[in-house]
Formats: sequence, structure tokens, C-alpha cells
Amino acid sequence: MTLPITTVKTIVDRIEDGGAGIKVFRLVDPDRWQLPPFRPGAHIDLHLPGGMVRTYSLCNDPADNARYVVAVKREAAGRGGSVLLHDAIDVGDTIGVSLPRGGLDLPDDVTRFAFVAGGIGVTPFLSVAAWLKRVGRPKFTLHLIARGAPPLAHLLVPLLRSGHLVVHDTAAAARPHIAALVGRPLSDVGLGCCGPESMIGDFEQATRDWPASRVHIERFVPPPLPVDPDARPYTLALARSKLEIPVAAGQTMLSALLGVGIDIPASCCGGICGSCKVDWLEGAPIHRDRVLSPTERARSLMVCVAESAEDRLVLDL
Amino acid sequence: MLDTLDSKTATPVTLAWTGVVRHLHITPRAFLPMRAMAELQLIAGKGIDSDRYMIGREEGFYSSKPEEGRQVTLFEIETLLALKRDHNIDLAPEEHRRNVTVAGVPLTHLVGQKFWLGETLLEATRLSIPCRHIEEITGKAIFDPLINRSGLNCKILQGGTVRVGDAVRNAA
Ligand code: FES
Repeated sequence: MTLPITTVKTIVDRIEDGGAGIKVFRLVDPDRWQLPPFRPGAHIDLHLPGGMVRTYSLCNDPADNARYVVAVKREAAGRGGSVLLHDAIDVGDTIGVSLPRGGLDLPDDVTRFAFVAGGIGVTPFLSVAAWLKRVGRPKFTLHLIARGAPPLAHLLVPLLRSGHLVVHDTAAAARPHIAALVGRPLSDVGLGCCGPESMIGDFEQATRDWPASRVHIERFVPPPLPVDPDARPYTLALARSKLEIPVAAGQTMLSALLGVGIDIPASCCGGICGSCKVDWLEGAPIHRDRVLSPTERARSLMVCVAESAEDRLVLDL
Repeated sequence: MLDTLDSKTATPVTLAWTGVVRHLHITPRAFLPMRAMAELQLIAGKGIDSDRYMIGREEGFYSSKPEEGRQVTLFEIETLLALKRDHNIDLAPEEHRRNVTVAGVPLTHLVGQKFWLGETLLEATRLSIPCRHIEEITGKAIFDPLINRSGLNCKILQGGTVRVGDAVRNAA
């Protein structure tokens, strides 16, 4: 059984030491084709062996669409993704990645930026800085708060030279006040922060008088994809295979079924082609397709778009 | 030839057209950007050299559902103009993800017909259907506006080189 291709196939082309327990992975297309585009500050999911999915910010200039560069700090006490990347992934290995998501809004009427990063949290601002410099909007300062030698020194050198980077070494001096770094709200200034939760808390406090549209916060664990506020999680019960599958709010039934290896012949993924039809036995489906008649809906649903109005929906699978 | 008879006047109606190849695109794998090419090599019964749906390559989004009639896909440039006119959406020829963008070819009328694409002979197997993931790739809400005009899937009966500017003609 072949399941649909759901990730962008990349291979590890180079691994560099980023210092401070960090490895920098350069991912490329196997034929060196250009990769899907990304916005400054965007991130991608890496689909690792064993089904682990981990999200990392892209560190390279978005204009450089031949590669995705991610910096990974080895967290021995983490959930295992960084350790696996450090210890088991080599040059030449294949890694499936998601399409890039997120990124900073850098509207034209914002002419100056201040970014505050804690340690490895500097990564999203590397692509932002490269982009701002390239498009001729060089008025920004990146404050990097780190203990001892800063991470990713080799990637920071150009920013240090151009005077865009201020390193605050908390081993040598007191931790700076974030309020002092961001200053008071000004209409042409945009802010960004990425770092540990405690730093983000301080940053939120320091920017509470700023308009939300001017403040970007990037968390290490990115918030889930925006979902329909009315969407709710539910359980799919498969009557014949006796499986119970949780469906997260906003997730499609189709992806939940594919996720446990059940192949459904989907095609349009938008409720018009009729290929992903499944019969349902109990529950209250919300249909949303444009192919089934009311009579057919009494018995079938299209798993690419249907949802459940109740906590449990029983499918004839 | 597409002939119908107008029942009231008994006048035969003929759809006469000659089109032209405006853009050619391929990509080796699902999700990757399409790349503009000056020419493509079509291989009879198999597909386009180096494209994701070339038989044996199977690296496309739909490769888990192999389909003999999807060796090459076509798209009307007029649909791009209509998207702009009716929905104010700018969709570039590399974004619709079909291989050949043609002008002046009534693709929806060609299902089941044979026609010449430059020196190659194609047989239209079915209309393409839009795919939800194109919205994810392009970041544009184009799924609905593309219903019923998302291009044509074809089989390659006679292979060869197709170049931008080549004529597209009926093979009746
Ligand atoms: S995949 Fe087309 S209707 Fe579900």
C-alpha cells in the first residue's frame, strides 16, 4: 500500500557545528531543485524517523530557495527530537519536511525594528535580518541575550560587523531589562521576540501598551495552526477494525485516518471529487461536501471535509 | 471534429480552433515549485521527462493513485485571466501546477478526443479536478474558482518535443 506523499522530500547536504551544543543542518532537494518559498521568520516541521515531528525556524535568507537551514540545539532532557537529529542523522539522510509556515509581518510602514532573542531563539531573526538587509530596510537591532559565548557565532558575524547585533552576555553583566530594549510604542517601530518562556513573559509585560499588530512573538513550541474557532476534537470509532482514533480540533478525518495508516483514496481533499467516501453508522456528521445527495448523506460522508457534531462518530471501516 | 446539429435550423455547428503553447512547466516532486522550461520531452505512454508523474518516477502528490491518463496535464491561460477578472486573484502560470499552459484551446470540449500538441499526439482522458493542497502551496483561495476549469489530463499517444509557441490542433 502506498500512502500519499504529504511532505517535501529533502536530504541533509551539510551539517555544521554551531557551537554551544548546536548543529546546523542544511537541507536540499535531492535534485537541487528549488524548495517551496518561505517568509522571513518562517518555520518548518521535520518528520523524523519513528514518527517524531519537530518544528524549527529557518535561518537562511528567504531569497535562498535552494536550501532550508535549521539550527538544532541538543536537549538531552527534551522529548528526543534534537537528540535524534544530533546523534542519528548524517549527511545524505532523507528528511521529510512540511511546507514552511508562519513568519513575521514586516509591513512597509514599519521602518525600524527591535528584536529580542534568548539563546537559540535567535534563529527566526536570522532569516528576518537577512531579508531586511537585502530589501534595503536596514534599520533594525537584534538583541541577543545569552550566557557566555553566543550560539551560532559563524552565522552572527555578518550582523555583528554591520552593527545590527548587540550581544548581552549574562555571564559577564546583569540581564538587560527588556522594557529598556524595546522602548516606548512608536508607530513606525515593529518588535519581535523569541526565547524561553520566562523571557517571553517579560517581553509581553514590556510590550503590553504596544498595538498587537506591531509585536510578534515566536515560541519554541509554535502554537498549533489556526483552526476554526468552532472546530472541536472528537473520536472516530472504526466499527470493523475496532480502532478508536482521536481527531484534533480542525484536523480532517482524512488526515487522522491516514495518520494511523488507513489508506483512503482521496483526491481533491475539498469535498468535490467523491473519491474519499466512507459509510458512517452512528453519530452526527457535519457534512460540508458538495457531492453527496441528502439521501446519500444518511449513510455516507466524505472524510476530507466532514466533521462530527458529537464526541464520537462511528465509521464502517 | 466537434460537430453538433442545431435542431431548429438544422445548421451544422463546428467548433474550429487553433491554439498555441504559452508556458511549459515541470517539477520533480510533490510540493516543489514548478520550473518554466523552453521545451519538454514527452514520452509516449509514460509522461514528461523529469516530471513527478512520469511513470516509474512516482513522486507526485497523486502518485499513490497511479493513473494512465495523467501523463501530461494542460491548463487554459484564459482561466488565469478569468480568475483575475472575476475574483481579482493573480495566479501565475507556474502556480496552477499543470504542465502545459495553452491559449485558444477549448480544453473542456476535448475529453475523449485526440489532438496535436506541437509534434506530439495526445488523447484527453478526463478533466482535472482542483486539489485543496494547491491553496496551501500558493496561499491563494483558488479551490472553488477552479472547479470545472482546472485543466485536462492526457495520455501521450505519440511522443516528441514540445516547445513554447508550438501550435495545438485538433486531430480529427
Ligand atoms: S477527496 Fe475529493 S471528496 Fe474527499
